[in-house]
Amino acid sequence: MRRNLSLLFRLLRIQIRSQLQYPASFVMEVLSQAMILGFFFVAFAVTLSQFGDIGGWTLGEVALLWGLAEFSFGMMDMIFSGFDYDAFGPLVIKGTFDQLLLRPVNITMQVLGSRFVLRRLGKIIEGLIIFIIGLSLANVDWTLGRILYIPVLIFCQVLFFGSLFIFGATTTFWTKERLEILNVFTYGGSEIMSYPMHIFPRAIRLLFSFVVPAIFLSYFPMVYILDKPNPLNMPVFTSFLAPFIAISMFWLSLKFWRFGIKNYQSTGS
Amino acid sequence: MEAIIKADRLSKDYKIYKDHKGYLGALRNLFDRRFTLVHAVNDVSFRIYPGELIGYIGPNGAGKSTTIKMLTGLLVPTSGEVQVNEFIPWKDRKDYVKHIGAVFGQRTTLWWDLPVRDSLELLKHIYEIPSDRFKQNLDSFRAILELDAFMDTPVRSLSLGQRMRADLCAALLHDPKLIFLDEPTIGLDVVAKQRVREFIQFINAKRGTTILLTTHDTADIAKLCKRIMIIDHGKILYDGEFDELIKYYGGSRVLSVEFAEFYQDPTIDQAKIIQRDGVNVIYSFKREDISASKLIHQLSEKYRIRDLEVQDQAIEDVIRDIYENQLLYN
Repeated sequence: MRRNLSLLFRLLRIQIRSQLQYPASFVMEVLSQAMILGFFFVAFAVTLSQFGDIGGWTLGEVALLWGLAEFSFGMMDMIFSGFDYDAFGPLVIKGTFDQLLLRPVNITMQVLGSRFVLRRLGKIIEGLIIFIIGLSLANVDWTLGRILYIPVLIFCQVLFFGSLFIFGATTTFWTKERLEILNVFTYGGSEIMSYPMHIFPRAIRLLFSFVVPAIFLSYFPMVYILDKPNPLNMPVFTSFLAPFIAISMFWLSLKFWRFGIKNYQSTGS
Repeated sequence: MEAIIKADRLSKDYKIYKDHKGYLGALRNLFDRRFTLVHAVNDVSFRIYPGELIGYIGPNGAGKSTTIKMLTGLLVPTSGEVQVNEFIPWKDRKDYVKHIGAVFGQRTTLWWDLPVRDSLELLKHIYEIPSDRFKQNLDSFRAILELDAFMDTPVRSLSLGQRMRADLCAALLHDPKLIFLDEPTIGLDVVAKQRVREFIQFINAKRGTTILLTTHDTADIAKLCKRIMIIDHGKILYDGEFDELIKYYGGSRVLSVEFAEFYQDPTIDQAKIIQRDGVNVIYSFKREDISASKLIHQLSEKYRIRDLEVQDQAIEDVIRDIYENQLLYN
C-alpha cells in the first residue's frame, strides 16, 4: 500500500508539474472557471430574492448546500479524473488499458495517477466561496457536532461522487461507449444536491433516494445542521446515514470495478 | 533444459457481440448479449526454452496477438494451460509481469505527455530497479539505441522509429528474462528497422534474453530467428527451424534477364518464364534442376544478353505460398 501511494504521488506530481508549466494561463483558467460557475449562483440568488425563500429555506441555507456540493464534486472531479469517461473510455477502446495490466502495480492506483485535472480548482474555489457566503448569511447554531460533521460530509460526498465515476468507468468494459444516462446521476446528482430536496416532485426524490441515494449526503444532513423542520417526515437518524452510504457505495463500486477488470481479462477488447 | 514457457492445449474463444449503434445503443449493448463464437486460438501447445529467439508468424487474425495476450497474462484462456517459469500469467499478474517485458509496435508503454527521460524514471520506480542497475542498463541502451537525441522530448512528439527505440529500452530496464515483441518493426523505415533488429540480436546474444517475436516482416524472421512457429486459423501449422522450412517449401530461384534484342520465344529447358515485358524476361528455376551458371551459359549460347541477375525466391513469397496454398495443412 505504501508503495502504491508513493507511486500515486509520484504520478500526480508529474501531472501537476506539467499542468503548471504556464502558471499565468493556468491561474486565468482557474479563475474564469470559478467565475463562470459562480454566475449560476448569482443568477439563482437574484431570482430567489424575488421570493424570499425556497421551500422555507433562505438564500444562505441553500448556499450551504450548493457550496458543499460544488466543492465536493470539484474535489472528486480532480482526484478521480482518471475514471472520467473522457479519459478512461479511450483507454479501453484503444487497448491502452493492456499497458496498465502489464505493469507490476495496482491498477486502481495507475488509473488514479493517469490523470489529475488541476483546473478543477476553479469549481473547488467557487464552491468554497459560495459555502462561505452561506456561512455568513445563514443562522446556524454551531454545536461541536455540527462543526465536525461538515468535513465528514465533504469526505462522504467525494466518495459518493467518486463511486459514481468508478461505476461509470467500469461499464465501458462492456459498452465501449459513453453511457450518457450515467451523467444524469453524476452531474444531475450534484445539481439536485444543491437544493433542498423537498421542493422536487416525488419521482425525482425517489430516484435520488433509492437508486442514487444523494438525498442522504446533502439534504438530510443539512436538515440536522440547520435544525430545519423535515417536511418529508423522515426519522432523525437519516441525517447521519451519509458515512454509511458513502462507504458502502464506494466499496460496491470497487467490487464492480474489480469484476469489470476480470471480465476484460476474459473477453479481451 | 527446462522450458521457460510451457503452453498446453491452449484455446481462446471470443464471443463477438452484436453491436448496437445510435441512440441508446450503448445501453442495449449492455443487455442484449447475442453473440457468435470465434476460435481465435485452438488447441495450441508448444515449449520455449531459455535463450531462444523465436519468430511467431501468421497472417492477420491468425491468433498471434491472442496467444501473446495469454502469455503475458492480459487474457485468460478458455481452456488449456500456460506456465511461464513458476507463474501462471493471469493468476499471478503483479508478480509475473515484473519478470517479463513487452513491446507492442502499435502502441506505446510510455507516458504520452512525458519526456522519455521521465517515463523511464517512472519505470524505475514501478519495477523497483536498483539505482546502479538502472543506470548501467540505461547507459548501455542509450548508446546502442541512440536515445540521447530525444531523451527530453515528450513521447507524443517522437517519430515512430524513435518511439520504438524508447519502448524497447523501457521494456528491458528491469532485466526481464523473457520479452515479447509484437510487431516491433511495423511502419519503420529501412534504417530504423535495421537498428531495431541489431538491438534484438544484441539482447538475445549478449544478455541471453529469451525473445518471442511476432512480425509481418519476413526479413525480420530471416535475419533473427532460427526457430519459427507459424499459426493460422488458431492452429500451429509449423514449429521448427526456419531454414528447413525454406529449403523444403522454397528453393526456387529467379533469373532476370535483359536481352540485347527482342526474341519471339526465349524459352529454355529446365526454367520457366514467369514474367515477360519486351526484352526483359524473368525465369524461375529450381536449384536441384539446374545451376545458375549452367542456365546462364545455355542462355548466352542461344541469345544475346545485355544484363542479368540471379536471386533466391523472396522469403516473403515462400511464406505467402504457405499461407495461400495452405501447404502445411496436409
